Amino acid sequence: MRINTVPMNPAAVPQPVEDVQGDDRWMSQHHRFLAEIKEKEPEVVFIGDSLIRNLSLTQLWKQMFEPLHCLNLGIGGDQTQNVLWRVLNGELEEISPKVIVLLVGTNNYDHTAEQVTDGILEIVHVIQSKQPQAQVIVTGIPPRGEKPNPLREKIIKINGSLAEECENLQNVTFLNVDPSLFVNQSTGLISATDMYDYLHLTQAGYQKLSDSLLEEIQNLLQEFIKVENTSIITESIEGDLPNEK
Amino acid sequence: MVLSQRQKEELNKAIADYLSSNGYISSLAEFQKEASLPSELDKKYAGLLEKKWTSVIRLQKKVMDLEAKLSEAEKEFNAGGPTRDKRSPTEWIPRPPERYSLSGHRSPVTRIVFHPVFSVMVSASEDATIRIWDYETGDYERTLKGHTDSVQDVAFDHTGKLLASCSADMTIKIWDFQGFECLKNLYGHDHNVSSVSFMPSGDFIVSSSRDKTIKMWEVGTGYCVKTFTGHREWVRMVKVYHDGSLLASCSNDQTVRVWVVATKECKLELREHEHVVECIAWAPELAHPAIAEAAGNDVKRGGRSGPFLASGSRDKTIKIWDISTGLCLFTLVGHDNWVRGLLFHPGGKFLLSASDDKTLRIWDIKNRRNHKTLEAHQHFCTSLDMHKTSPYVISGSVDQTVKVWECR
Repeated sequence: MRINTVPMNPAAVPQPVEDVQGDDRWMSQHHRFLAEIKEKEPEVVFIGDSLIRNLSLTQLWKQMFEPLHCLNLGIGGDQTQNVLWRVLNGELEEISPKVIVLLVGTNNYDHTAEQVTDGILEIVHVIQSKQPQAQVIVTGIPPRGEKPNPLREKIIKINGSLAEECENLQNVTFLNVDPSLFVNQSTGLISATDMYDYLHLTQAGYQKLSDSLLEEIQNLLQEFIKVENTSIITESIEGDLPNEK
Repeated sequence: MVLSQRQKEELNKAIADYLSSNGYISSLAEFQKEASLPSELDKKYAGLLEKKWTSVIRLQKKVMDLEAKLSEAEKEFNAGGPTRDKRSPTEWIPRPPERYSLSGHRSPVTRIVFHPVFSVMVSASEDATIRIWDYETGDYERTLKGHTDSVQDVAFDHTGKLLASCSADMTIKIWDFQGFECLKNLYGHDHNVSSVSFMPSGDFIVSSSRDKTIKMWEVGTGYCVKTFTGHREWVRMVKVYHDGSLLASCSNDQTVRVWVVATKECKLELREHEHVVECIAWAPELAHPAIAEAAGNDVKRGGRSGPFLASGSRDKTIKIWDISTGLCLFTLVGHDNWVRGLLFHPGGKFLLSASDDKTLRIWDIKNRRNHKTLEAHQHFCTSLDMHKTSPYVISGSVDQTVKVWECR
């Protein structure tokens, strides 16, 4: 049992998103998820913000994730306290997934690294109490912003604490997203080929993120579904391999 | 094996990265010295060695898949694909490409069945509707509306005058298939009703539900006359043996059960699958010789007599069971994902299956072999049916389409 040492941490107090624009889309999505979990029997559940949501729009999702019986419960703009509200309000009922992937925190602009970390750990705590059989993969938050900026520093701090905390948790894996995956080591810049708006991922960006994620999921599921792509083709064997779809 | 200079350099860099990322710092320094590598590590090679390591397994699997496909294609090419009149109906199997791909459903198709008399088929969908199609012309005929949630299964009585449907709305409906009106609603299940079947006489219906029970209903009155309890979880499917004396059911509790209709007693509990059992099919008597031969026994010399049952599971396998002994005779392995639909070929030589690996497969029972694979749909295949006398197979999918396949 984890004791929350900061009881008033706003990133760790469940909170639905306020409908400031007036079209109630957030609640519509939540209700759709409730209907979807009733219908589907996912083996893998993805929950989080737009970085999770948009993955389901990629070709990768169709080819690589869908065959594993994945269900995507990402909502754009969600902060930790919003995901916390959702997992406490029905989105983890009636299902029994083997793996749950969590990626959230990049939108908590108003909260400190410690608050965000605690918010994420609180979600993990709820997931584990609702789905004790599931293996949880906490995905590190990818870096953001074209140029080096304070948010990147905060994210590194969050990821560092998450890695430490997850070490001590049973059935929880922290999947590190190394900044060097996206940040050019000599210039410090993030390329628009990976992140079109320097936050959200492109198809190429998701490819980078998905390699290790898929590996981890399939290891946890203990099965390799027919895999359609293989890893990267390097210069020396280029031409030796037929082009894959 | 000799590597080119360039490949060697690449391998060295990948090894250096591996040593560095795993903290073998002194080995790294030594290695860099010996291999005369720069002390700066090239980020391009991050994780490369691990990736190559795992990709070998994947490539091997892929190669095997491709080889199987190629030999199949070669055979088809050399044999030139038989013409239908040269083959007896017992040899008919569906051939690509599909004759029709029919869209209309707005959600995944959950079940598809042939009408026993007319040239129509019926599909059930998560969009809460039932659609009727002419499989010879590919025409859409009409929609039956009434259920308020996912329709899970549909079944005809042997005359084809009545259609039963069941739904996640917890009801079973009986439809008059001449006037297309809903005649009765059967209430009694406490959760999603997953499967429905007519007894051979046509006077009773059996149904299975997520409420863990199987119920028997009198068609005339609409009353529930029997409840079979024993499964520990969601019952996915129930099928009646052709003489009406036995029921078989399968469940999320990973078992297959066989029930005596007269006494409601659970005669057998078959546990060998390692995941949810999605579907079952009783073997017709015509299939008994092939099954007995596959199991290594000769029927005529007083060997296995059946009845026999096939089950398909999320563990990707299909198992054939001898119900007289409760033993699994053999297992068919080949699907790459959940097995969702099973059906014996009316001729008795083949078993057909539908799977979440998006294929339909035809299994040669006698040789326990995957005889043919059809890349059938864009998404999971949920259900299939084969006509008793006409050369057609139909399939339904999460891609929301229904496909008609001609057999040769």
